[in-house]
Amino acid sequence: MVTEKEIEHVSKLMKIDVDDHTEYVDKVQKMINYFDILDSAGVESEEISMPEISLESLRKDEHVAFDDKLIEKLNHYKGTYVRAPKMSS
Amino acid sequence: MNLKISALDFVQQVQNGDISAEDFVAETIQRIQKIDDDLHAFLSVNDDAINQAKSIDKKIKSGEKVGACFGMPISIKDNMCIKNSKTTCASKMLENFVAPYDATVISKLKQQDAIFIGKVNMDEFAMGLTTEFSAYGPSKNPWNPEYVPGGSSGGSAVSVSAFECVASLGSDTGGSVRNPASFCSVVGYKPTYGLISRYGLISYANSIEQIGPLTRTVKDTAFMLNMIAGLDSNDNTTIDNKNEDYLSGIDSGIEGKKIGIITEMIGDGIDSTVLSATKDAISKLEGLGATCEEVSLDMVKYSVAAYYTITATEAGSNLARYDNLRYGYEFPVEGYEFNSYISKARQKFGPEVTRRMIIGGFVPSAGHAGKYFLKAMKVKSKLIKEINEAFKKFDLLIAPTVPVLPFKLGEKINDPVSLFLIDINTVTANLTGKPAISVPFAISNGLPIGMQLFANSNEDKLLLQAACALESTVKLPEVPI
Amino acid sequence: MTKIGLEIHCQLTHLKSKLFCSCKANYREFEINENICPVCMGLPGSLPRLNQEAVKKATIIAMALNCSTPEKIAFFRKNYFYPDLPKNFQITQLNIYGDTSVGGSGSIMVGDKKIRITRIQLEEDPGRLIYEGSSSKNQITLVDYNRAGTPLVEIVTEPDFESPKQVREFLNILSDLLENLGVSDPSLEGAMRADANVSIEGGNKVEVKNIGSFHDLEKAAHFEITRQNSLHSRDIEIVQETRHWDDKRKITVSSRSKEEDLDYRYFLEGDIPWVTMNDGIVDELKSEMPESINSKKERYISKYTIPVQVSEVLSSDKYYSDLFEQSHNESNAKEIANIITTDLMGLVDTREKRDKSKMTSKHLSDLADSIQSGKISRNSSKNALHEIVKTGKELSQIISELDLGNVSDESELAGIISEVISAEPQAVEQAKSNPQTINYLVGKVMQKTKGKADPTKTLDLLKKQLT
Repeated sequence: MVTEKEIEHVSKLMKIDVDDHTEYVDKVQKMINYFDILDSAGVESEEISMPEISLESLRKDEHVAFDDKLIEKLNHYKGTYVRAPKMSS
Repeated sequence: MNLKISALDFVQQVQNGDISAEDFVAETIQRIQKIDDDLHAFLSVNDDAINQAKSIDKKIKSGEKVGACFGMPISIKDNMCIKNSKTTCASKMLENFVAPYDATVISKLKQQDAIFIGKVNMDEFAMGLTTEFSAYGPSKNPWNPEYVPGGSSGGSAVSVSAFECVASLGSDTGGSVRNPASFCSVVGYKPTYGLISRYGLISYANSIEQIGPLTRTVKDTAFMLNMIAGLDSNDNTTIDNKNEDYLSGIDSGIEGKKIGIITEMIGDGIDSTVLSATKDAISKLEGLGATCEEVSLDMVKYSVAAYYTITATEAGSNLARYDNLRYGYEFPVEGYEFNSYISKARQKFGPEVTRRMIIGGFVPSAGHAGKYFLKAMKVKSKLIKEINEAFKKFDLLIAPTVPVLPFKLGEKINDPVSLFLIDINTVTANLTGKPAISVPFAISNGLPIGMQLFANSNEDKLLLQAACALESTVKLPEVPI
Repeated sequence: MTKIGLEIHCQLTHLKSKLFCSCKANYREFEINENICPVCMGLPGSLPRLNQEAVKKATIIAMALNCSTPEKIAFFRKNYFYPDLPKNFQITQLNIYGDTSVGGSGSIMVGDKKIRITRIQLEEDPGRLIYEGSSSKNQITLVDYNRAGTPLVEIVTEPDFESPKQVREFLNILSDLLENLGVSDPSLEGAMRADANVSIEGGNKVEVKNIGSFHDLEKAAHFEITRQNSLHSRDIEIVQETRHWDDKRKITVSSRSKEEDLDYRYFLEGDIPWVTMNDGIVDELKSEMPESINSKKERYISKYTIPVQVSEVLSSDKYYSDLFEQSHNESNAKEIANIITTDLMGLVDTREKRDKSKMTSKHLSDLADSIQSGKISRNSSKNALHEIVKTGKELSQIISELDLGNVSDESELAGIISEVISAEPQAVEQAKSNPQTINYLVGKVMQKTKGKADPTKTLDLLKKQLT
């Protein structure tokens, strides 16, 4: 059973403030509890697999500049900087 | 002017000079203006579309080389980037995001003289299967506007079904193309993982999702696939399809093919009308010379839990970039500390996205990865083994696309777990990377039922041939709008 | 007992493009946010495109540090929020599903001490933060993403170092090695950074992050040991924590990071398939690897009988050894080694001076040949070298312009000798009776020719005239 405290901790980790607390925790709990079914799948001995690519088919090391002044299309400040809030020390 | 024609017919009629691209596009826009207030398929309409059609007509008249689309109007799910136009993912978080580049599928279609008639509605960041989670309001099912159109590519399915475009591109993470295709009675296709480049598709769960066409006919899907499939240096996960022509030989039929009926997808919780439609489909396929028998994929029982665990984990990471610093909406940083700013800025996400991201933070976290994420990955591995085993015996697999009929707006939105279970027949193709297609098969009490076929990896051509055969067995009524 | 482990971040500065996009790896030459594209800015819909050469270079480093190389390379996402990280996750490597990072365990000798390498991983560098505003109220952070996505190799060691001095010796060896491999230029600002884990007397481990240069790494380790010793001597428990190196004050500062920030939720990066490294590739890379510093040194000693110390200096600095390799032949090798390690070193001891230097390998071989054939004296060759580095002019031109050539014309030299003999009758008499004192007369000839007379020839002619 997922506790309310755990969910609060994760919402901090994921950096989302939550307004409608009770309804929200209730739904998340229900969803995660449904995942308990995975315990009965009996897959402990399975290996994880992934698609593969050969080294030779990876991108060659060449410099190609992007064809636009990208920063002008993004939020910018004092000409070309991106602005962020102050960092906690 | 008849807007109710297939993509191949459109191309032929423009090529023959029977119709002009300009007239067709203009009439399409009129139709959108007339009916889309009710259906809400579109989030934005391309106001330059008629001009673009004019210049294609000019090219045709002057005998210049013209791309294969001949000015065909296509709608694009609003999670694919078109340079210099808004791409919102149906989220308030990206309300003002103007893409500075084209997705690979977009540049390929541009080269073929397609016209992007507009960007269409979806569940926010593609998380949902009813299009009710769009931050800009739900789309409605053209067969009955009180019903959901399915999702997350709801706008794509509605726009094709209601003749607001000739074809559409959606994306399918766990059924997001096939589910709305089934609910709106159009063809919806999820290719082999890697067949279509995802470059420029805004990621939800990148390891399993694919862009896929929604069209009126299976042949139209093959036509679209010919233009957008293949290796792309911008996407390391794409596969080389050796320029396969999916249209040639599409009428080959399915005589002698062995088809497995997935036991776990016609069992508990299936609607009786859907079940009888499935039985009907099986006997029709047998009538075409195929042999059908049941096959069990044990891991399907766990597939939805595995699917939501994996997608939430990837989404939690993929959506982390939306911190409102480099792009986003007006919200000055002054006076905030970093963490509090980001947490506040991200309140723009809708409730479903927020829920899934919290889950996505939880299931792979240090204390819980073993119980959830790792097990989900292993279920995925075992499911791949099981389905590969099945394809040793069968050429194709079959199951209804969705085990239930379309339901009413608001009916299930508050019950996340019952919504989960609607995905049971579609997520397997995503978790295993196999191609799957939903073909319109029946209308029951005015609501569509789609039938789903699966093939082995890279057997997309065979799958389209089978789908074409199945399609030929039914004659369905026209959408009542 | 002190235990120090290192995590060294080394930029692959010789690559042309970034790790996952085609922007320039050398971000230093750009104006703020001009070396960016949708991929390294993590824009919605963009995907990483792995740089083949980066995988190769990282593998070469792994092999040079005697690490195992895997059959398949996998990438992972390390998830955390920070403004210098455009995607708010970093693509990096880890060994949670078997050994899948570019290098597995290995080791390297530092003197007699074996330092074990835990793993070597390839990852992307973040952007750069600039803090603006004085009072904490109006403070904001500015971000330049030019560096974001630069290929970075992280070398993780076991806690095998027992002193800051060992750390320094290791770093010297490592930077020479990386430079010799042609993968990185350690002298570039920010090309080498490090974190250090320090513990004393089996106590808690303290991680010191953000050390911007190898020079400061030794200092940081030293500071941290002193700090921990002082706590220990007062029976105060050492807290397991992360501290930051304060570059200005040269101290470590507790970074007070909260527990929840430390859950990185590592999982596989689905956008990059597992890269297969077949035996052929590994063998090919091995054969392309440049000769090691040690092997060069041994060769210099055995083949050219260059003294051990000279060979050591010559082989460990890639700039010098490259010059040597390009300029020498069987007969002038020793002379060239000598010129490089005695005269050239003072002229090009910094990166700036090397960049400015106009000298080519041909200059060096010309100079050595001229010394050996007696065209120029060793003494004058120093002046010639100075001029070569400064102007890049041909040696022959410099000799004539600065009049540095030896007085080799016999009649001219004989004339000068006659002058000396007539001016020094007493010394001449002495020399006749005691040949040992002839050197005084040679010295006089040298004085008159400003050191340009060939000493052997002078001696011969003097002897001839005295008999």
